[in-house]
Amino acid sequence: MTLIGVPGRSGGIAVVRRLAGHLARGLVMILVVTTISFLIIRNIPGDPMAAKYEKLVEQGMSPEAAQQAVNVLYGFMPTGSMWQQYLDYMKGLAHFDLGQSLTVPGTGVGTVLMSAAKWTLIPVLAGTLLSFLVGIILGVYAAIKRQGKLGDLLAISGSLLHGVPQYVLALLLGAIFTTLIPILPAGGTADIMFEPGLNAGYIGSLIQHATLPVVTYALASYGGWILAMKSSVVTVLGDDFILAAELRGMKRSIIFRYIARNAILPLFTILALSLGMLFGGAIFIERIFNYPGLGLMLIDSITGRDYALMGGAFLLITVAIIIANIAADLLYTVIDPRVRSGGEAA
Amino acid sequence: MSVTDQRAPGVRISDLSVVYRTQAGELPAVRGVDLELMPGTITGVVGESGSGKSTLALSMLNAVQPPGRISSGSVEIDGLGDVVALRGDDLRKTRGRHVGYVFQAAQNSLNPLKTIGKQLLDLGRSHDVDDLPGLVKEARSLLDRMGLDGARVLDSYQHELSGGMRQRVGIMLALVLNAHVVVLDEPTTALDMITQATILRIIREVHEERGLTTLVITHDLGVVAEIADRLAVMYGGRLVEQGPTREVLGAPRHPYTRGLLQAIPRLVGDIDEARALPGRPPTLSTVPPDGCVFRERCAVRMDVCETGEPPVLTIGPRVVACHAAGDGESQKETVTTGPTRGEEQA
Repeated sequence: MTLIGVPGRSGGIAVVRRLAGHLARGLVMILVVTTISFLIIRNIPGDPMAAKYEKLVEQGMSPEAAQQAVNVLYGFMPTGSMWQQYLDYMKGLAHFDLGQSLTVPGTGVGTVLMSAAKWTLIPVLAGTLLSFLVGIILGVYAAIKRQGKLGDLLAISGSLLHGVPQYVLALLLGAIFTTLIPILPAGGTADIMFEPGLNAGYIGSLIQHATLPVVTYALASYGGWILAMKSSVVTVLGDDFILAAELRGMKRSIIFRYIARNAILPLFTILALSLGMLFGGAIFIERIFNYPGLGLMLIDSITGRDYALMGGAFLLITVAIIIANIAADLLYTVIDPRVRSGGEAA
Repeated sequence: MSVTDQRAPGVRISDLSVVYRTQAGELPAVRGVDLELMPGTITGVVGESGSGKSTLALSMLNAVQPPGRISSGSVEIDGLGDVVALRGDDLRKTRGRHVGYVFQAAQNSLNPLKTIGKQLLDLGRSHDVDDLPGLVKEARSLLDRMGLDGARVLDSYQHELSGGMRQRVGIMLALVLNAHVVVLDEPTTALDMITQATILRIIREVHEERGLTTLVITHDLGVVAEIADRLAVMYGGRLVEQGPTREVLGAPRHPYTRGLLQAIPRLVGDIDEARALPGRPPTLSTVPPDGCVFRERCAVRMDVCETGEPPVLTIGPRVVACHAAGDGESQKETVTTGPTRGEEQA
């Protein structure tokens, strides 16, 4: 009649050990991904100089002038055998040196990434969190009212928005709000008439320009959240402990909290992953609204065969997803007692 | 241990019918059940799956889940009135406070994300208990009484407890608000034999100590034989026989009860002596609308069984609904006072 061992109560050490394991695994994953992406990047047909040359000629430069401009790049081209290049690259990475960008000559990859990241993080983060909040709240509602008209309507709106591709949504919103009812700017990050800095005009312009990308991103991901939350809530509603709480005469507000907390749990993994994915940028949306974020930069680096920048962008995405995963896992040890005690749940 | 400060209430279920809404219309799950729970007794309800016994149990708290509903009848509890007529907050406060409900052990009747203690406090707050420390103390002493380390269990999560421990927690939660009517739905199903015996002993002891009126729902005649003072047998949504446990099991009058008893294998004697009842129990849609519900499988079937409702015969302390049970020594008489709890100890 005594308690079977209550495991994992000395949480601190367990969490540290867990974290150490995660970091070790993360490093191995980074190594593997970097190697694979290095091999793929270096084996893409074409090279940075040819790409640049073609681009310049297309822009109307004379072949001679273009050749001259391209020759400047020569000093930045990696040299030696593929194996040697790989070793050099990894050695650089070990010192947090991502190399030099070729499309933006003379600039470190880190700097290029940073300047693009700020135009992705803020809008995409805002869009993700906005859609998450709206999606889960309406998802709970859609689940509870799933037999009514409004619940149906919400679920349908979710499926519909989830099914429409991001670029269709972006083009549609762009057409409506910049052409039909021209109240929002069509692209860019801010009006050039404003001096960048902490002044009301500039910030206002920033917000104006960010509105369409944020709203598009939020609408595009809202469908996924509402559907996921709805099905999660429906599952929890069928759980015995909800009926049990009702039969014990628990207050509605308390039962609602039981439902919400249990239902939202699986969604945190998806949220953490999508926060990691956000470093990949929103390629279509950035392209359509000419927003110089990571997605647009990634495209440019690929068309320009900018080896170092591509590698840096892939590495950033990899690291972000690994960190997001670790964060999600640690978060679970806080919010889910079954994970905390090492998973020997019945 | 709390002192029994009030007399155990009696419960009268009269003409109770429950229907489930299906595509084929409303189908009866429980039909015209009359059952009286004498104050201070344990009544066992046995039946196969689908016989309506769990629906009957939920009716005791007016908690039949949609698409089901109580279509007629009443559940009168002394001091509370007709539970079927209760609505809203009155109904919620009755549940848990006056009528305790214990779930099947295998079901998870506890919120996996909260400790038992926190759920106990939620229960207390739901029922406006002012003295929460007192409630915790009461819970701990109840758990100690049932052979657990109360303080430790209150500090545990559901997944840290075994099935038998969870079931004792379920019993504690049903009793801690001092409910005097307790409904146990399959309290020992899915527990091993030793734990089953322990739980049954605990139910019996706590029942006597606290002066409860108890209803035990089970498919296991052994459980009923062990603890119930009175026994009611359900088949196809109807109560086919009821009476003092020993009399019903010793000399069953309904052919279904006889069949159930014959189906139990004995420890001694030929294994072939156990004879399974031929056929299968009716489902919601195959319950015949007229005549006897059991006639398809009945060994003593007569012509009248096809068309006539079986008469409800009251023979001494027993009630039998069968056309064939009326012959022999029995007289049709109405008994106004049922057996009391002293009877079984005789």
